[in-house]
Amino acid sequence: MKLINLTISLCCLLYASFVSATDWQSNPSKSRLNFAPNYEGMPINGRFTLFSVTYTTDAKDQPIHLSVKVSVASADMDNSDINEAIGAVDWFNITDFPEAQFISDQFLLDASGQFVAKGSLQLKGHNKSVMVPFRWETMPEGEASMIGELTLARNDFFIGDGEWASGEQIGISVKVWFNVVFSRAEASQ
Amino acid sequence: MGMGNTADQWGLLSKILHWLTALLIFIQIPLGFYAESLKLSALKMDVFIWHKSVGMLVFLLLVLRLLWRIKSTIPKTLGVNQIQQRLGRLAHGLLYGLMVLLPISGWITSSAANIPIKLFWLIPLPALVGPDETLKSLAAQVHEICVLVLLVILLVHIGAALRHHLLLRDDVLKRMWF
Repeated sequence: MKLINLTISLCCLLYASFVSATDWQSNPSKSRLNFAPNYEGMPINGRFTLFSVTYTTDAKDQPIHLSVKVSVASADMDNSDINEAIGAVDWFNITDFPEAQFISDQFLLDASGQFVAKGSLQLKGHNKSVMVPFRWETMPEGEASMIGELTLARNDFFIGDGEWASGEQIGISVKVWFNVVFSRAEASQ
Repeated sequence: MGMGNTADQWGLLSKILHWLTALLIFIQIPLGFYAESLKLSALKMDVFIWHKSVGMLVFLLLVLRLLWRIKSTIPKTLGVNQIQQRLGRLAHGLLYGLMVLLPISGWITSSAANIPIKLFWLIPLPALVGPDETLKSLAAQVHEICVLVLLVILLVHIGAALRHHLLLRDDVLKRMWF
């Protein structure tokens, strides 16, 4: 009998958490996803102009799910020659891998109290476990922001292959930072 | 031979600055055309670092030359007639102007193209302007036109120096030599 009660309680809890879960959808015009590789030790800023982030929080505003989709072909480094070059096979290979994806269902809290999404980043056909730290803040009018920064190693995904692989001219570390503004979608049922 | 200029002779410092600049410009122009002809590659980026480094070195030498010109006397202008003397001054003025315009337009091109500069892989230069494709094209065009004008003026400059030396047999070239 106790077991049945416990099961019912758990189911109710689970149901309650799903009912009060909130889906958030990124607002493209207000969101930024930037990256900066290093050229001879000096950063060159770029950004992805097309990307979409969905985020789900529970009743206590705690993260449940994060999904990021990035159109790799939208990479913009403020230089049409470079933009064309980074789409090539040695770099992003946008013909074969036009989209990158990051999905996380596991969230931790770091020492400074910010969330860390542990998930899998699929980029150029390679999967790698990545930790994405972020700050989440709800704002008025049903909006919220997600701000964070991380460093990726481009050779984990074979971006900058061939003569660029050594990291001598274009460094291996690439800084990625984002400021995503979300709007509240309808509650999950 | 003294370090400073006299009314009849260029001094050692002026001569060194002149011939060093000449040498660098003769390396610099082919370097620029070569870098531009390459497809985006590690080699192209290295050749461009050489081009930007040598260009800024020419600019630095120019600043030294201008400071030295102000501080030191300038040998009197030699020429067959006043028109030729004026043409000579005009050509020299254009050379100085181009040696300012070329590095500055190159620097603006690089900055507007969102490519940082590190001279000789050591000295970073700040960006003169932010990324801007239109400005990049404009500055690149100015750079190209300037180098074509420079080539013409250099031909005139060298031709005139040889004419003075071989035909007029005066001291114009000799007084710039060691």
